[in-house]
Amino acid sequence: MRNKLLFGRRIDTGSWVHGLDPRAKLTGMLLYLAAIVLVGSWRALALAALFSLTYMTATRIPLKYYVKAAKPLWALMVFIFAVQCLTVDRGQVIWRLGSWALYTGGLSSGFIAASRMALLVSFTAILTFTTTPGLLNQGLAGVLAPFQRIGLKPQRLTLMMSIALRFIPTILEETQKILKAQAARGADLKELPWREKGRMLVSLLVPVTVGAFRRAEELVLSMESRGYTIGAPRTEYHRLGWSRRDTWFVLSYVALIAAVLMLR
Amino acid sequence: MTMNSTGLAYELQQVSFSYDPEHPVLSDLSFSIPQGSWISLVGPNGCGKSTLARLLGGLLAANAGTIIVEGTPLLKETVQQIRPRIGMVFQNPDNQFIGATVEEDIAFGLEGRCLPREEMVERVHRYAEKLEIGHLLSKHPSELSGGQKQRVAIAAILALEPGILIFDEASSMLDERARGELLAILKEMKGSGRYTMISITHDADEILASDRAIVLHKGGMAADLTPRELFGDEALLDACRLIAPYGIRLLNELRKRGIDLSAESPKEVADAIWPLYSNR
Repeated sequence: MRNKLLFGRRIDTGSWVHGLDPRAKLTGMLLYLAAIVLVGSWRALALAALFSLTYMTATRIPLKYYVKAAKPLWALMVFIFAVQCLTVDRGQVIWRLGSWALYTGGLSSGFIAASRMALLVSFTAILTFTTTPGLLNQGLAGVLAPFQRIGLKPQRLTLMMSIALRFIPTILEETQKILKAQAARGADLKELPWREKGRMLVSLLVPVTVGAFRRAEELVLSMESRGYTIGAPRTEYHRLGWSRRDTWFVLSYVALIAAVLMLR
Repeated sequence: MTMNSTGLAYELQQVSFSYDPEHPVLSDLSFSIPQGSWISLVGPNGCGKSTLARLLGGLLAANAGTIIVEGTPLLKETVQQIRPRIGMVFQNPDNQFIGATVEEDIAFGLEGRCLPREEMVERVHRYAEKLEIGHLLSKHPSELSGGQKQRVAIAAILALEPGILIFDEASSMLDERARGELLAILKEMKGSGRYTMISITHDADEILASDRAIVLHKGGMAADLTPRELFGDEALLDACRLIAPYGIRLLNELRKRGIDLSAESPKEVADAIWPLYSNR
């Protein structure tokens, strides 16, 4: 199971994208999100796809990893496609069924919307594929630093996030174990009707939650014994360095947004 | 090692602890641990060993009595100053892995010490090499075995350069081979003479390798003796639910039958036994 979990797994190829400042990558991804939201035509989509492919290739990570990253969301993409087909009534009628008709406009905007989703998910994987979680956290702390003035504590937030991410595979594994234990006692989730499945999930949630609390307690002991004190000053292991390349990287996304806007 | 005037790592004076007054977990414990020695804390499950470890580590405060660490009483005001002297390794290798990679996990405590980056990098690599995990620095915990994770935990603690190390059943979730490797690490650490070590354990080999065993029973101290004495005392072993290593059991049985051999390691036991056969 954990081998399927690509989320948060760094793939080291030593490309120049790996070496970018995590703050630049985070900012880039936010701008990319904005650009993708603005994509509304075939030409803009083609441009965004070309842009994405360029950077994906630049990471020297095989493209199949990006495809894998987007795969878990295929149902959502089909859903988005279907909603567009069902609701948009522009262009020519292709097919009519009772009071509903499929229009060319629906088909094309469905395709564009689903592709946008696919691009977004696979492209943002660049962030986790090329950055260690620690660097990512530090980058996030850097991006959030301005909010310190309004009382936000970036270091606490990012520590919380990194521990949560760190424990996802561990807790998934534990869940798998409990599922197997329940199956061994005759309650196999796979063979139950839907309503029973819901009930079973509740009885799964309780031990998993209890287990997570127990882990949290032990983790706290371990952190305390290593001298962690909330709010105490800390130095940082990773050093962030903003270079000219980072500036160009961010600017390329600004250019993408501008181009997408022109091709609307 | 920084020596204090007493030469004691720990001095406990009538220490008691309970989560609620009706059910004391530890009562009236008094003993001392000289610096540089290796103590095994043994006893059946639920006798208060882990609680004692937490008291010694400054993670819990005693209800009564005094714990003196390297000459300084452990109090609310001094705990922040004493804690850096103490490193703790816990039972579950997963639940003490804080970082997302081996490197970040070892660095976690160092960041809290506010060390300059160069020194952090140097210590991370030095202690990773020492525990033979240098090639695993970029790995995520889910890619490591239990024994490797426990090595990371030890490296993370040693990198903080404490004088006192507490192992709370650190080997109990490991397989036989990893356990043997951990024991070798402990022996090497003891040999370096830089650490006072306290290990809570049910592992006979680990107990045997230590200098002294403190036996807890129902929250009180049942005995304070050498491992050899412990393994010679069947009533005590039974009370602790311990089984002596095979070689020692064999020697005990032989002694009961009037053959007294002195031997330490399995090889010595074998060497002492075979002449008995060949003389027949």
